[in-house]
Amino acid sequence: MKFYEYLSKNELGQMHEATLQLLENTGIYATSERFLGKCAELGLKVDGHRVYFPRALVEKGLSTAPSHFSTWGRDKKYEIKWGEKKAYNHTCVGTPFILDVETGRKRDVLMKDLEDFVRVADALPNTDIVSCIFPQDVPTHAVVTMQTAAMVKNTTKPLRICIESAHETNFIIDVLAAAVGGMDELRANPIAYLEISSVSPLSYAEGPGNGLIDVVEAGLPLGVIPCPMMGATGPMTLIGCVTMHNAEIVAGIVIAQLLRQGAPVIMSPRVTFMEMSSGLGLWAAPEMGLAAIASAQMALYYDIPCTVTGFSCASKINDEQAAFETFYNSFLPAVGGVDVLGASGSLDNALISSYEKLIMDDEITSMIQRTLRGDAVNADTLAVEVVDAVCKAGAGSNFLSQKHTLRHVRTELWQPLVSDRQSYGAWEAEAKSYPDRARELAKKLLAEHRTDPLSPDALAKVEAAVQAAIDAGE
Amino acid sequence: MSRILREIADAVEAGEVDDARELAQEALDDGESPQDIINGGLLAGMEVVGKYFKNGEMFVPEVLQSAQALDAGMQVVKPLLAQGDVTNKGKVVFCTVNGDLHDIGKKLCIMLLEGSGYEVVDIGINVPTADVVAGVKEHQPDILAMSAMLTTTMGAMDDVAKALKDAGLDESVKVMIGGAPLNQDYADRFAAYYSDDAVSCVNLADSLMSA
Ligand code: B12
Repeated sequence: MKFYEYLSKNELGQMHEATLQLLENTGIYATSERFLGKCAELGLKVDGHRVYFPRALVEKGLSTAPSHFSTWGRDKKYEIKWGEKKAYNHTCVGTPFILDVETGRKRDVLMKDLEDFVRVADALPNTDIVSCIFPQDVPTHAVVTMQTAAMVKNTTKPLRICIESAHETNFIIDVLAAAVGGMDELRANPIAYLEISSVSPLSYAEGPGNGLIDVVEAGLPLGVIPCPMMGATGPMTLIGCVTMHNAEIVAGIVIAQLLRQGAPVIMSPRVTFMEMSSGLGLWAAPEMGLAAIASAQMALYYDIPCTVTGFSCASKINDEQAAFETFYNSFLPAVGGVDVLGASGSLDNALISSYEKLIMDDEITSMIQRTLRGDAVNADTLAVEVVDAVCKAGAGSNFLSQKHTLRHVRTELWQPLVSDRQSYGAWEAEAKSYPDRARELAKKLLAEHRTDPLSPDALAKVEAAVQAAIDAGE
Repeated sequence: MSRILREIADAVEAGEVDDARELAQEALDDGESPQDIINGGLLAGMEVVGKYFKNGEMFVPEVLQSAQALDAGMQVVKPLLAQGDVTNKGKVVFCTVNGDLHDIGKKLCIMLLEGSGYEVVDIGINVPTADVVAGVKEHQPDILAMSAMLTTTMGAMDDVAKALKDAGLDESVKVMIGGAPLNQDYADRFAAYYSDDAVSCVNLADSLMSA
């Protein structure tokens, strides 16, 4: 399949040039002394709290960022091949609310929900990377460490973790290392990538600045995920906002590369926008999808792995709006070429998680992957021979009994997860909607799916790391 | 209402900063009182803006532009107010709590509070509990407003409430909170008030001031 070019090479070149200008003339604002000190050591121009990036250093940093690497699940059958633009699916991080699977009502996320949600994600066939919803019933100073522990216990799939603030980073890394048998193994075959957020416009706060250094020094894959809002924390034009946050990401990547050449880095552009008549933050369609494809094309231009938000919507329930918004926002960047589509299972601009939506997004992912697989054109697929044979065999003959059909019947057709494809009569017997069927599958997986447990030794070490994080705050 | 006051109100509504400033001066020269210029002109215009915004007919940046026009007019008139004349509906100290860097919601609330006539002191983002208390001591607001967008930082609000009590400030200041992970149940834990968005933030402040 040929990727869809929403922007031309020339246009991307102009955006890169604007990025260089911003980094050279405007620079980034940073507050951490440690971060500023490192920037100066690396040869960047530091003036008070501002860091300026000479072009040559930017080009150098971009040139050493690897275009391909892998992250893994605790179970090695799960491999994320970064750089191959496979449009993997990752679950939404951070939602404080969940639609209760029994009542359908919105309520606070609890630790038990996090464990259950991760376990269902573990069971789903096209949900590739697991991130975590945000429990409100655990001590806040250790929450990300506890989430990480809950994730390694309840899934064997690859993980994505947003490191909230630098103070927890080391505990989080300890949990990950404990789960796989040590730091060397974690470094060699990382089971997670860790993300930090710059603060738009063009600044790196204390926690994210220090976190960036910690992740690179630990030798783990780093993601940089700014989240400007068009017209509020970024310019009111889509291209301007994409370009400005591209500069923030490039700044992080260049610093990472200068710190350690070849360090695995991931661009995670997230331009969002605002409902200008109320001020609400939106992750809706179509702008989310358009900004995502434009940003993903920038990452292709640099040949650096990239994630975007795909499965987001403004809808509050699993209705038609949720479906078409999500499809637009995920499909568009996927056909432009992207490694990961984020926010699966989310509603209400990434504030609510839902099992039904997680299942819908899993199914959309498989449809997207069917698309990305493409359709080869060759003598066999053109099928001229078999058409000729069938037509000449005389009236009434058809393709059903052809060898050609038999050979392709299991691979050519997409298979739904829970979408309805029955006859009207069969459907009418129960007359279930998509969310009804998705909820049934969710309940079944909740009741039946068991994740391969950690070994007793690994489990003990994970618990010890969590305890250390809890103790550190008391 | 005099023609010039209506023109001032229109200038605020249209977000014409220079016009609002010049018309305010002209009104003063014509002998209008500062209080009338503020109430009958500047705030009257802003009230219309508030209504349009509530109905979804005006956009955030346009409201901000009107707020700037209002401010330009205020700058002209304010120095002439007699001591003790009240120029605002009340005083608010606003912060994003410790550990939290999210400030877009806070800025929107501040914009609308100011637009509706409150004096707001923004003491920043990621503000440690002790500094919030110090801010309250220093500025002596009617209302302390706090914003948090993270599950991990909302607990800091509880800490602030306790610290205010310890400092004996809890009687003199009302606390209102907001941010996506919060709700009134949470606010009830420490006798604070919650509302969901910037428009209702102003309504909440109004009701706290009149309580
Ligand atoms: C923009 C954004 C960012 C930007 C913030 C930039 C900035 N200058 O503010 C950046 C990129 C820096 C960021 C960072 C992070 N973020 Co963030 N972010 C958001 C996002 C997308 C939008 C927030 C926003 O500005 N909304 C628009 C404003 C206008 O709305 P609002 O804040 O809700 O405010 C309104 C009301 O709540 C109310 N209100 C607000 N305050 C007050 C106060 C009072 C007194 C009253 C009455 C009312 C009121 O009125 C406002 C106007 O209507 C949300 C998702 C979302 N959909 O909300 C995530 C979100 C809040 N972030 C999240 C996370 C996880 C993070 C990070 C931890 C990620 C990371 N990489 O590590 C970091 C944490 C940094 C930190 N220590 O604070 C999670 C929160 C998870 C949780 N439950 O705790 C969310 C929900 C996204 C998600 N699903 O992951 N983020």
